Amino acid sequence: MDGRCAVETCAEFGFARTSCTPRIRCGFGTDVLLCTGSDEAYVFSTQERKLKAVLQCPDPVSDLVVSHDKQRLYVACRSGVYCVSSELLLSRVKGSPADASSGPSELKISSESLVIAEEGVLSLLLVGSVLVTLSQRDASWMLALYKSSNYEKLSSFSQVSGDVNSEETKTEIRRSPVLICVHSRDATPSSSSSNSSSDEAPSQGHFHLDPFLFKLLFGVDIALAKSPVILCGLPDGCVCFVPLLLPGSRLRVLHSLEQPVVFVGSSGPGRCLVAVGELGRVVLMKADKGGSAEGRGNVLIEGCVPGPVVCGCVDKNIVYYSTGSDLLLLDISEGKSGEEGQGKDEETRRKMDAALQSPTSLNVCRVVALAPPTCNTAAPGVVELLGLSVRGQLQRMRLPVRTEDSRLSSGSDSQVGRSVRDLLSSIGDVCERASVLKTSIKSKNQILQHLNQVLNISFLLMAGANGAEPPPLQENPIRCRASTSWSRLLQEDSLTLTCVLDNSSAYVLERGWTLSITVFPLCPPPSAGGENLSANFSFPFQSLHPGETLDVSLPLAAAGESSFPVTVSCSLLFSLASLLGEEAANLPALQSSCISLPLNTLTVDWLHALQVSSPKAVQEKITPHATDAIEAFLRSHRIRCGGNAEGGGEGGLKYSASVRVSAELLRDTLMVVKSSHLDPAGTKTAPENVCLSLLEWLLSEGPGGVTTGQKGDQIPMRGSVVHAQSLNRHAVKLTAKEVNVGVEESLNTVEVQVHSSSIAAVCGLHHAVLRRVQTLLQRAPERAASTKRVQSLGLREALRRAEHLLQQIQQSRVSGVFSGGASTEQMSRTLLDVYRELRENPLLII
Amino acid sequence: MSIKTFQPLPLLERWVQENNELVNKWKEQVGGGDQSQTHLRCCSSEFHKLLRKIQGIPPLADHTQLELTVVYNACVFFTAQSQFSEAELLLKQFTERVLQVHSSSPEDDPAASDPHLLWRTVLKSVGNTALAPCVLRLLCLQWAIWLSTCQLKTIQEFQNELMSVFERLSTEVLDKGRKSSDDPLLVMDPRKLVELLQICTYIAQGSESLSEGQSSEALTALHTASSLPAPRTLIAYTHLLSGSCLAHMGRPQMALQCYMKALETDRCCVCALYRSMLIYRQLGNTQAEIQALRLLQSTLMLPSATEPPTDLLSPSLLLRSKSLSSMLSVPSALFILHNLALKCVLHGRVSEGVEYYLDLLAALQSEDQHGMHAGSPPLPRLPELYLQAGAALLMAQRPADCLALCDEVITTTLELLPERVVLEEPDEECEAGSRALSGGGEDRVGMLLWTAAAYLLQGHCNTHLKDWKQAVTHYARCFNLLVKVRFKKKGFQPQIPSADMVGKQGTDLCVLQRLKGLSLAGRGISFTQTDQLREALRDLQLSLQAFPECATAGLWCGEVLWRLGRTREAAACWEYTWSFTSQSSEESLSVYLQEPQSGPQLDSMELRRRIQELGPLL
Repeated sequence: MDGRCAVETCAEFGFARTSCTPRIRCGFGTDVLLCTGSDEAYVFSTQERKLKAVLQCPDPVSDLVVSHDKQRLYVACRSGVYCVSSELLLSRVKGSPADASSGPSELKISSESLVIAEEGVLSLLLVGSVLVTLSQRDASWMLALYKSSNYEKLSSFSQVSGDVNSEETKTEIRRSPVLICVHSRDATPSSSSSNSSSDEAPSQGHFHLDPFLFKLLFGVDIALAKSPVILCGLPDGCVCFVPLLLPGSRLRVLHSLEQPVVFVGSSGPGRCLVAVGELGRVVLMKADKGGSAEGRGNVLIEGCVPGPVVCGCVDKNIVYYSTGSDLLLLDISEGKSGEEGQGKDEETRRKMDAALQSPTSLNVCRVVALAPPTCNTAAPGVVELLGLSVRGQLQRMRLPVRTEDSRLSSGSDSQVGRSVRDLLSSIGDVCERASVLKTSIKSKNQILQHLNQVLNISFLLMAGANGAEPPPLQENPIRCRASTSWSRLLQEDSLTLTCVLDNSSAYVLERGWTLSITVFPLCPPPSAGGENLSANFSFPFQSLHPGETLDVSLPLAAAGESSFPVTVSCSLLFSLASLLGEEAANLPALQSSCISLPLNTLTVDWLHALQVSSPKAVQEKITPHATDAIEAFLRSHRIRCGGNAEGGGEGGLKYSASVRVSAELLRDTLMVVKSSHLDPAGTKTAPENVCLSLLEWLLSEGPGGVTTGQKGDQIPMRGSVVHAQSLNRHAVKLTAKEVNVGVEESLNTVEVQVHSSSIAAVCGLHHAVLRRVQTLLQRAPERAASTKRVQSLGLREALRRAEHLLQQIQQSRVSGVFSGGASTEQMSRTLLDVYRELRENPLLII
Repeated sequence: MSIKTFQPLPLLERWVQENNELVNKWKEQVGGGDQSQTHLRCCSSEFHKLLRKIQGIPPLADHTQLELTVVYNACVFFTAQSQFSEAELLLKQFTERVLQVHSSSPEDDPAASDPHLLWRTVLKSVGNTALAPCVLRLLCLQWAIWLSTCQLKTIQEFQNELMSVFERLSTEVLDKGRKSSDDPLLVMDPRKLVELLQICTYIAQGSESLSEGQSSEALTALHTASSLPAPRTLIAYTHLLSGSCLAHMGRPQMALQCYMKALETDRCCVCALYRSMLIYRQLGNTQAEIQALRLLQSTLMLPSATEPPTDLLSPSLLLRSKSLSSMLSVPSALFILHNLALKCVLHGRVSEGVEYYLDLLAALQSEDQHGMHAGSPPLPRLPELYLQAGAALLMAQRPADCLALCDEVITTTLELLPERVVLEEPDEECEAGSRALSGGGEDRVGMLLWTAAAYLLQGHCNTHLKDWKQAVTHYARCFNLLVKVRFKKKGFQPQIPSADMVGKQGTDLCVLQRLKGLSLAGRGISFTQTDQLREALRDLQLSLQAFPECATAGLWCGEVLWRLGRTREAAACWEYTWSFTSQSSEESLSVYLQEPQSGPQLDSMELRRRIQELGPLL
């Protein structure tokens, strides 16, 4: 028989893994009771296929049992056993017939219905009018009997817990003990439980054993007293028993499985007691009726079934058990068919061993709880199992009809139809399993690939960072460029930095990478009071293929703020959490771990932040806040009247600074730079005017990859003068002119002058120009400077001037000390004078 | 109070208030009948918390009294929960703190190790100050802990101090009388406590010396104790122990008197009843013994009427020595019931005995299990009880009931019987243990003997009913079972046992031979009734071989010989049988193994007349 099993999902109880074994119990009629280890227990009607009621308990529910007359429901929680009247429960259900389609009724169990305040009850059993509880207290098991009428404790037994896996039980899922009641078949039901007729299907947890086996297992006294026997299968591997009635008896060990007991039950017409352990040990206890010399005795057949056993149940001669990945069927009836005679025992054992080794697969996966099978009344012979899957699905499994092959072949159409349907459903089940496996493999591969890329990129960047000499021109294949631009928003000018991440490497930057940009001023403005003004921007991106670029914009400063120059350092972050996707969500340690790879550092200075104004628009540009039209007019008028001349006579631009560079040098280097950097189609007009090209270069090009926004436009220049507006909204004039310096032998130099009304702007721009020239010179081709010229450049005079200035500074400091705090103003003025002098008469850069 | 609450109370007063609130809360709840363990635990932790607060500041004379009171209260709660080590730790801390306050004695190093020295130093340093009663109270608690943990030796060594504590506390506190509301309250009256301790110490010491065999010394101490003011239960204990001493000294009558007194003092003192029953048994006063058993049984069947202890420290907490608990233990009600039933049956009160047996069997199958605890002696095995009850029923002329009971036994055991069984000669030492061990894997020989005995009883019943054919069948079944047993002596092959192998009474072998003899005799007698004299003679002679002391078989053997005309042999047989005085060993055997009193009887007078008629030998 190949097991094909029709599975249909009745309901879903999404439940998280809990510490308790989930259970399915038979309830009222066709209803089943479910507890999943959470605070809730469910009543599910298998006929109506809907959830009838939800019981909300104060503690996690470990077990449920319905009284024989179906009047009461006992719920075992951590704090004790609660009793709910089924009338109450069912009336609630009936009370809302109108909204039958609506959700189930909810019943909150309060502490008023607590009937037995015994802590940690793990299993419940009702035998007649006696309620049996099994709880664990410290290192021992407590079996207690209570009268169900008044909950008076009748007696209790304790058994010291063996430590088969006492350590494991603390950490792993705690397996609940099994509690069942075994009756001798011939014994008439004891007076107390006479209302439950014995020939009906026994209620769950009650089994009938062949009297002979019963006597063999439990002794004559118990048989004579006609006492039912309470059997408990403990997680420490012991199967213990105690008679319900016989006073003075103790809890005795029937057998030890040496592994947590998953279930105990009787099979066949009570001819065999079966116990199954978690690791697959199966113990069959049978009576041996063959007359051996030593007399009759019980036969223990021990064997192992493959795989862990998660749950199981027994019916007739068949043990059903789930390994978590499959539901298996074990036929243990073979041993019985053997004829009387010598050696039958051995034969039985052999057969049983063979049977245990080859259980039949039913192809149902992930079952964690099973209810004993019920025979479908509509179709006799069809066995239906109820199971609970790991994901909390209540499944009804219709087992294939166990028929002989011949009968199967001559089966009727309906049978064939059904078997086709079974086949299809089982294919569906297998398909589902296969697709789950496939997706998991696929995702693993993807993750590995991804990880490979990440590692490649990491090595690439780290080699760049750690390399002995970072080649200045031949930079990292992955790096950032930037450009600045002014934009106007809500009448507010703001400087935006556009960073471009350029991936010129051979690798893809995939999901999980983040571009992190940190902006911090080189020196914080005095207003900040020394605090760190760095700002951090992160830009996660999906993927960046080789050759692609990523543009991100970030606000650098609003007009009026002057904390320039700023350093922009770029780095790439990779978070490990993104590697695993959703699965990483439940690993909090992963959330914070990431790889950080520095890229490069850019500097944005005053020159970048200049707003160059076209000559026509000079007037307008000067007054960006043209709120007051009259004032604007007046100001523009004044400027036009006062300062149309280009000389340094403008009243507004009273501060100036200059830088002198050898023209020859400039000519050489600028040509090199231009030819290498500018587009090949660029104008080759450079040699005609060094001054112009210098200014152009200063304004458009930047060292270290930052360019100004006006790059594309023709920079508006009138001669070699640039009018612009600085960051702090002051007018700035940049001029470049060729000057001949030298006393005896003149040297052709270019003087760049910065004029502004703001000292800060002058300082900043001067610094920026110097820095650029510096970098320019670094790139200049190596050339021996003629030393004799140097002497003739008035170096001596310059030195003298410098000495004079030093004297001046010292004087001012001395006077400052003597005059106390009164003349700080005066002192700062002198210092400013000195500064101006220094800046206006610069040394020549050759 | 209302004025006070508006001002921030001084710390001291606040603590006093807290202490008093806790004490009052406890007393209220005890009044309400709620004395659960959780409540105890809660209170004890509250007091402990308060104590830690108080001990947070260095010991100063002005609040020592409060501190000591709280220590006392916390210790009482700890002791009540049997947390002795915690209580002792508190006491030790307290002594150290007291010594810090009265740091007169620099030599506290030796004192730290020895509790005696420590206490003596503390008592000395406190002297007669206002603090003295507080310290004495705590010493009381130390006393209680010693008593609960059965350190009687320590108490003995400290006897003098403790006696003075007793005197001072019982007088001083009385004198003090005045009570202001600001005084910190105590959770248990120290005077009550010291009285309780006093008598419990006497009782514990008495039982200890009794178990050591020093009865007369114990007796004097117990005598003084019996006149102390104490709860009834404890006084009853003193009488009980005195009785046990006297019984031990060989004065059963005086012992009985003491037990009587104990019962008069405390009606619920079942162990006095039990002890007196044992004395009656020892004296051979069967009627009184049965009476006592009956009383005992009915008392035990009653729901225990012990009131919940009103005080935190109950006598049961203080009296925990093993010797005393064994003295006070009483077998379970079912065990007593069985004893009663058996006694009645054995001593001629058959109908009464039958009722008791039926009660017992009913009780065994009911769900109300009358506190059958593991400590009490176990009942006989169930088949044994069934057979005894069956025999009793037969004696009470209820053969039908007896047949039913025997049927039960047979149907239960028959399937399990082996084809052959070997009875091994029991080892001297493991004889006692062998029966007990056979719990799970049934004792096969025992089971066979039960089944055989059941058949035998059925045979008797049929004899009683004059159904001779059935009787023969049952006796035959009995015999057929018995021949399956082979006896194995050490170093020999298993063989068919014979009468001369029976060494001791009560062994399986003895029972086996007896059963053989009785079944053969029964079958022989049945044959005589159907006039199959030849078969009868064979069976009766075999019976005598198996069990020579069988009187019925002897007499009937003679009768058969007589009927066969072998009068001389018959007379000799009779004379021989009469020469066996009916032995006393009957008592040790089960009821069902005794020779049947029902069935056809031979009149000895008649037989003697016949012998006389026969005349002297020629």
